[in-house]
Amino acid sequence: MIGGIDFHTHPVLVREMVDRHPELALAARDVFHCGNNFQPLEVMLLEMDIAAIDKAVVLPIDATTSRNATVYTNEQIVEVCQMSDRLIGFASVDPHRESAPELLTYAIEKLGLRGLKLAPAMQEFFPDDPKAYPVYACAQKLGIPILFHAGLSWEPGSRLKYGHPLRFEDVAADFPALKIVLAHLAWPWVVDAVALALKYPNVYLDTSALYFDNPRDFLRYAMNQQVPLTVFERSLRNQIVFGSNNPRIEIKSMAKAVRTLGFSEECLELIFRVNATTLLGGRL
Amino acid sequence: MIIQLHRIEVISHKDMQMIDITPQVERLVELSGAAEGIVFVMTAHTTSGIVVTEGVECLERDIPAHLERLAPKDPPEGTYGYYHNRLLDFDGRLGYNAADHLKSVIGGINTFFPIEAGKVVRGGRQRVYFVEYDGPLARTVFVQIIGQKSKDAA
Repeated sequence: MIGGIDFHTHPVLVREMVDRHPELALAARDVFHCGNNFQPLEVMLLEMDIAAIDKAVVLPIDATTSRNATVYTNEQIVEVCQMSDRLIGFASVDPHRESAPELLTYAIEKLGLRGLKLAPAMQEFFPDDPKAYPVYACAQKLGIPILFHAGLSWEPGSRLKYGHPLRFEDVAADFPALKIVLAHLAWPWVVDAVALALKYPNVYLDTSALYFDNPRDFLRYAMNQQVPLTVFERSLRNQIVFGSNNPRIEIKSMAKAVRTLGFSEECLELIFRVNATTLLGGRL
Repeated sequence: MIIQLHRIEVISHKDMQMIDITPQVERLVELSGAAEGIVFVMTAHTTSGIVVTEGVECLERDIPAHLERLAPKDPPEGTYGYYHNRLLDFDGRLGYNAADHLKSVIGGINTFFPIEAGKVVRGGRQRVYFVEYDGPLARTVFVQIIGQKSKDAA
């Protein structure tokens, strides 16, 4: 397979950006909580080559209210995307701020970003909090997808309660034209996340789940034991996207694990490329 | 007395890769001014190694392949696993490179060569390799040169 898309990466270790913006080092270490060495962007692109991934979505997180920090601003996402045409930039806004819809509109229409990243656990809001509804309405109007962190979060201080899939049901129901992606299979609540995706065609799941053992064994557990693989293959084939969660795990490792789960070649094409393209409005 | 510590950056392009760094090491020795002495080479990382072997493409394939057999990234199903496959709270990520650490331990992380008449002394077929076990990554190799300008110099 060639030409895949990784729908879930965080550029927090890109050395060139840390050199230009020293505050990104603190954001990587203290907010995002990633301790690995900073690496040139070239390394990420090489890893994409190995994994047969053409393009990667790069995500910021605006945690201004909860952490007094941003893990990349929208402008910094634009800057890193200017370093390679293989990167697709998403925006993030702080739902606690009344200006969030205006900032999102600016990020999409003026900065050219392609979607919205929200991390309820780090940003400390419940997905079904009416406070966030203006942001959802804005995203729906703009025609962009929202990638939500869901399930367990690694960052210290982040509470699991913000990531339960059922807290996303009102969003899916109240904004039927808004495509939302629940990241990490919302692990450990995979059954609940699958139930949501089965019921709501605007709910997608990404594969970036790894919480113990290794990618192969973990994904077999989550995508074959917690829920049979046939459910993903037959019922959710159009609602699964490949995501690695790099740099918490290497792109190559997650891609290999997904490709060896036992999906049909047709389904892998949907997971690795077609569904992500659909989410991005049909263009890469 | 000459004591120099140099850092070479090596960017690996593959998951596992042997990269011949002999020219860089020899160049640093020549530039150091050391006529007699010793040069140490050490990787700065615990999922990479330094290996001295014959510089042929077949061995560049065989050595990583053999180490993968000894310490497979994914052990055969139903056999054993690695304790390192767990959340590493200091890194904020899961440890999925136990096998790469093991390869580094097995293959070694350093080497040294004598310096004579300003040149690295090595066997005719010996080459110095940086060995990547968890690439691609930007890596650092330390090269420490200790020597003197001539045999008679203090």
